This record gives sequence, C-alpha cells and structure tokens, in this order.
Amino acid sequence: MKRALPPDPHHPARPPRIALLGESIVDETATAILAEAVLGGPFERVQPNLRARGWPSVLQILPAIARHLHFHTDADGLIVLVDADDSEPHTAAHEAPGYFHPRCRLCQLRATFRRATKTLPPARGRERVLRAVGLAVPAAEAWYLCGLDETVGEAGWIEARAEGRVPYTRRELKLRVYGTERPTLPLALERATAAARRHARDLRRLENDFPGFAAMADELRSWPRALALRSPRESASG
Amino acid sequence: MIASVAFRNFKALRSARLALQPFNLVIGPNGSGKSSLIQALLRLRTLARMPLRDLRREQDRLHDAAEVTFRFEPPHDGLEAVLGCASESVCDLLQIVPLPTGEGADDWEGLRKKILGLRAYLLDHTAIARPLYPVSSDELAPDGGNLGARLAALRDRAPEAFAGLRAEVLRLFPEYSELMLRPEKGSFALRIADPSENALLEPEDLSQGTLYTLALLALAHDPEPPAIVCVEEIDRGIHPRLLREVRDILYRLSYPADRGLDRPPTQVIATTHSPLLLDLFRDHPEEVVIAEKTGRAATFTRLSERTDLGELLAEGGSLGDLWYSGVLGGVPEEQP
Repeated sequence: MKRALPPDPHHPARPPRIALLGESIVDETATAILAEAVLGGPFERVQPNLRARGWPSVLQILPAIARHLHFHTDADGLIVLVDADDSEPHTAAHEAPGYFHPRCRLCQLRATFRRATKTLPPARGRERVLRAVGLAVPAAEAWYLCGLDETVGEAGWIEARAEGRVPYTRRELKLRVYGTERPTLPLALERATAAARRHARDLRRLENDFPGFAAMADELRSWPRALALRSPRESASG
Repeated sequence: MIASVAFRNFKALRSARLALQPFNLVIGPNGSGKSSLIQALLRLRTLARMPLRDLRREQDRLHDAAEVTFRFEPPHDGLEAVLGCASESVCDLLQIVPLPTGEGADDWEGLRKKILGLRAYLLDHTAIARPLYPVSSDELAPDGGNLGARLAALRDRAPEAFAGLRAEVLRLFPEYSELMLRPEKGSFALRIADPSENALLEPEDLSQGTLYTLALLALAHDPEPPAIVCVEEIDRGIHPRLLREVRDILYRLSYPADRGLDRPPTQVIATTHSPLLLDLFRDHPEEVVIAEKTGRAATFTRLSERTDLGELLAEGGSLGDLWYSGVLGGVPEEQP
C-alpha cells in the first residue's frame, strides 16, 4: 500500500525536481523508485549523472554538490543514500532535536548538508534545496532482502553487533540477492529494480525493518508541504 | 591453476612468495616486482615449450642463483616447477619436480598444456588502431594489434559469444549503435548512435579506453580463453566510472560459473596504479596483492592478511585512500 500524499491545492502542478546521490547507479535506481512511492508520484530527475565514490567520498563531496544544485540547477531537493557498512545505524534517539551521533553516517550527512547550505543566499527563485538522507544498514542489498529473508533487518543487525557477532556480511548479502558475490551491473540493476518495485507497492515493512529508510521517507514526506509553502514566485520559477 | 610462486634472487624479488587466487589485482610502486611476476610466468611458458632438463642434484644447485618455484592447484598439485637462472634475469632451466603428496605427479604433459595457455597483455592502442594484415586471428595478440581480425573470427566461429560481446559493447558505450567488422581490412568500426550523424568511427578515431575495453571484452567473451591471463595496467585510459565494468569483464574470465558459463576458470593476474580501481575490491581483499619495495628488495602481501583492515576502513577511509596514504604499504619510498 502506497502512502500517497493527498493533493495539495497550493502545491505546484509540476512534479518535483530531484537530484539523487548514491554510491552506484544500482542504489540510485532503486532509491528513485522508492522515492516516487513515498512521494506518491513521479519526479523529474535533475543532474542524473551525480555519483559519489562511496564513503567517505560522499561526505567530502556533499557540500560542493549542495552548492552546485543550489546555484546552478532548478532542483527542489537532493536525496542521498549511503551504505552504513560497519558504522553506527541511525536510531530514533538520533532524531531528537540537536542530537548528533558522530559515527552515524546519516547524522554526519545531515549536518554536513546543513553547514553547507545554511549561509547560501536564495537562488533561482528558492530559499534552499530540500534534503533527504537514507542509510542502508549495512548495505542496500539488505533493503532488497527485506520481506524475503527474516534474518535481515536493522534490529537484528544492531542486536548481533552488540553481542559482538556479525549476523551477515556484505558479501553474504550480495550472494543472497544476486546469487553471486560478484554481480554484473545489469544483474544488480535487475534485482535492485525488482526489489524496489516490490517495496513500492507497500513501504510499511521496509520502513519498519529499516529505520535508515524510514528516516529518508519521513524527510521526503515533508517536502510537498515545504514546496507548497514556497512563494508563488518560487513555484512559478520552474 | 597456479597455486603459488616463490622467488629467490629474481630481480627485485630477493625472497618473496605469493599464493595466487583465481583473480589477483597486484598494486605497488614502480619496480616492486609486479612486472617481474608476469615475466617469471612468461619465462615458465617459454621453457615449458622445450624439452625438460634432467633433474639437477641438490648439491649442483647454485644456492645464491636466482630461482623461481611454482606450485599448482589440483589436479597438478603433485608437481613443482623450478626455474633455474644463470643470473638475476637469465633463466634458462626448467625442472619439474614430483612432490611427495598431491595429484598429477606423472602428468607433466597435462600441466604443460595449461602453462602453454598462459597469455600476457600490455594493450597498445596504436597497435590496435593500425592492424597488421594478414594477421593471425586464433587468439588476441599481446598488444591487441589483431583485435579486428579476432573479433571477426569470434563472429564466424562463435556467433553466440560474439553476440554477447556486441551487446556488452553497446551497453557500455551507448553513444554507439553498432559494432561493424571489416575482416577484409582486419579492422572494425563503431557506428555513432545519433542517426543525424550516421557516421562510423574507425579505430584510430576511438579513445584508448574504448579500444582497451573492446580488447578485454574480446578476451572475456572468447569461449575458450587462455588458462592464465596477465594484464598490465588494466585501468589505463579508462574513465573511473567504467572501472567497475572493467573489473567485471575480468571477473567473467575468473568466475565463469557466476555468469552461467560452463568452462574452466581463467586465472587472472592484473596490475594497476589506480586507487579508484582498488576501491572496488573492498569486499574482496583476498583478491588484492600488495607489492612492497624496501631498498632493492620487493615482497608480496595479500591485503586479506592485514587483520585490522576492517578497523581501518571503519575509521572512514576508502581502500584506495588507505593505500595512497601508505598505511597498507605498497607506496614509493621517499627521501626525507
């Protein structure tokens, strides 16, 4: 079941313009499908050739990308997706006002984006580019297995790590999703797309089992309201 | 199929040993033994063509002379091949030594056949763009110079494999709509996808990276590839975003079962100086070999032997960054 947002009479008629930044075209393709499901409709992809080389490159390049999108594109928002690897998963406690976990990549990316954009003057008819950050724990393949493999989920991952166990490795996740630890790009795209489309029909399980996805979905759901609140001049600028 | 190589006094490899995997990416500074490893393998192939010398008695061996010892995977783990060298670089003696355990101790012919299937490539875009004619098309030349003829041979002798190669070319380079073969010239061309241009690009008009990628695809889609393939500088001329594809092309050789191919794996030994390519091996440190040079002496270490690798990566650096920084070794020595 999609949680489509009700039509907003103040919302601009055009689809939102969104840029995606991920570690691979595979993750970006899946994220685009999931983002459309969250937003309840299609979006227009801005600057589709953005890419980061993985962590920590994505953190290093984010300020430049935020600045570029702000001044040189009509992007309404930027979605960033990274793998957590062995870093701290994002939990509900991290959402407390003013809280920042230094080893949580989602917290780090949000803070970096905030620092990079807070002093930028309005440009291209808008105050700022919106932001949504997702954290796949430990990798996007875990999302693709959600609902199919009961042993895969953030709660189980955190519990096992607390006990000093590694419940599954990135290689094992790849093997489970692709049938090989070394998938080709076409195979990876095919499986990721199929998994994202499956989740797009009903996002509740993915949001429940993966708070790193739910955090991104919550941010995305706040966008239509933010876009609607923009001045008529902003809305007309596209 | 080569399990390990041990070096003694062979060029910079004074005392070094390397266990080989199906896929091996060798990184390290210039002069650290990457090319010497490949040269030793080629020397083994050259000498395997010739009649074997009698087994030399232990007391006749020159104990400070260069020597390279090869061990093999089953079904030939019962044999050892020893290259004896008259000097640091002149190795002209091959001995095959049966081992007390292992299979195939009496099957030198079977092992020799595999060793003779070893090929080393240092692709040269000028050679690819300037095809020699007439030219052999039975296998890809070491510099890729017969690529056009090889592609035509693949199309004629293995049309299904060629169809897969063509599909890969057009997927990797969507700016082209067709791979045109010109067997009469021993050449080929790529048609530009934009119909308004309706133009063909000849090899001399194609980028180095495109030509090298085509050559690697010709190797990887060969239904009967060499048993062992060495490729130097696999990142050369390739855009960083295409490096994953280059890795996957070579994986097709090493892990054919993963691609649904029913043929024996090809052992791949590749070299690079690219931290960006190294980043792609984060999940497979066992496939990475670090060549380390101290003074004139070089050694090899598997990245997976670095037990704190997980902790280092958790600190936030990428694998390529860690290598460049020097914490993994395999960087040039510098004078303070």
